[in-house]
Amino acid sequence: MSWEFTLPNSWAGGVQDAAGAGAADPAMENEAFAGFYERSARPLWAYLARSSADPALADDLMQESYVRFLCAEGAPALATDGEAAARLYLFRIGTNLLRDHWRRPRAASIEEIPEEFFVARGQATQTDAQILLEPAMRQMKPRERQMLWLAHAEGYSHREIAKVMGLNAASIRLLLFRARRKIAALLRARAADDGRKS
Amino acid sequence: MNLTSCPFEKEIRQRLALGQWPDACPQELRTHVSGCRSCGDLVLVSEAFHHARVESVAAARPVPPAILIWRAQLRKRNAAVKRVSLPLLGAQIFAFAVAQVAAAGFAGFEARNGVAWLTWSYWHDWFVQLPQAAAAQWDSLSFASLAGSAWSWMVLVPALTMVVLLGGVAVYFATDKP
Repeated sequence: MSWEFTLPNSWAGGVQDAAGAGAADPAMENEAFAGFYERSARPLWAYLARSSADPALADDLMQESYVRFLCAEGAPALATDGEAAARLYLFRIGTNLLRDHWRRPRAASIEEIPEEFFVARGQATQTDAQILLEPAMRQMKPRERQMLWLAHAEGYSHREIAKVMGLNAASIRLLLFRARRKIAALLRARAADDGRKS
Repeated sequence: MNLTSCPFEKEIRQRLALGQWPDACPQELRTHVSGCRSCGDLVLVSEAFHHARVESVAAARPVPPAILIWRAQLRKRNAAVKRVSLPLLGAQIFAFAVAQVAAAGFAGFEARNGVAWLTWSYWHDWFVQLPQAAAAQWDSLSFASLAGSAWSWMVLVPALTMVVLLGGVAVYFATDKP
């Protein structure tokens, strides 16, 4: 047995540390986390997938978001701070991870992209909402996509969006107004195009 | 750009959130939306995103939470091990620095006698004479005698340095991760 596996728990840290110092039973904490995960994983994945337009990336970033949430010392505790605060914190981690991903230089070749990535984009499998929304979303800036999703899909207030995105709450109102006007125009144009074709 | 919000916007937003739009809404509200650009945008975008959310949430395939808990524990453990390893790294650096100082001191001490010590024959003679000299000094080996003997310091300092250095190297290999 290597010596690092004999570290005391206070050094090594368990999952209970992520939920605050008052946590007593790790099994109970794990159960609470599992419940929180059950309720928040799909909305987080949807946010990451729609903002990045890359489901495979959303898978990776979602897992990384939860691991960071569990490891973070300043993360809100589910028992004391409530699930809403934890969810905001989680979305903020996801937002930062997306931002880091976009800042990174792109070096992936086409061979590295999984086959499902292209299959998912086949016109045959796309629904009406995807056909209308996806092209419009692709024309939006990443920050606008995030903001619109948080406001109109997740129903977050300006203040909550500001917390998630690390921006000033006052500027969110203007940015969101512009983004909504822009995507509405794109959706109308797309609908008009489809109407002319059919 | 006019940022003044429409007085109906709040109500429309609430009805959209409750799923009451458009069937459970009064006719006047629907008439307003068809004529107001801001509210029209709000309804159009909210509905599109609502449908997209329903589809995306259904498409998500989250991994079991136990995997994430295990990964988080592993990461925390690795971080803790790294934290503990830091003082050991400091000890290694200190040992290396002591060795460097001792080597420099030794070189300086020997340099007073010229550069003969840099030759192979000097070290050959030194090693040949070492057992006899050590045996001669064995009986009088004490701190007082060591302190008074330059030759003893010459042996002791490199020996201690070697021990410290090898100790540092041993600790390094013991803590080195693949």
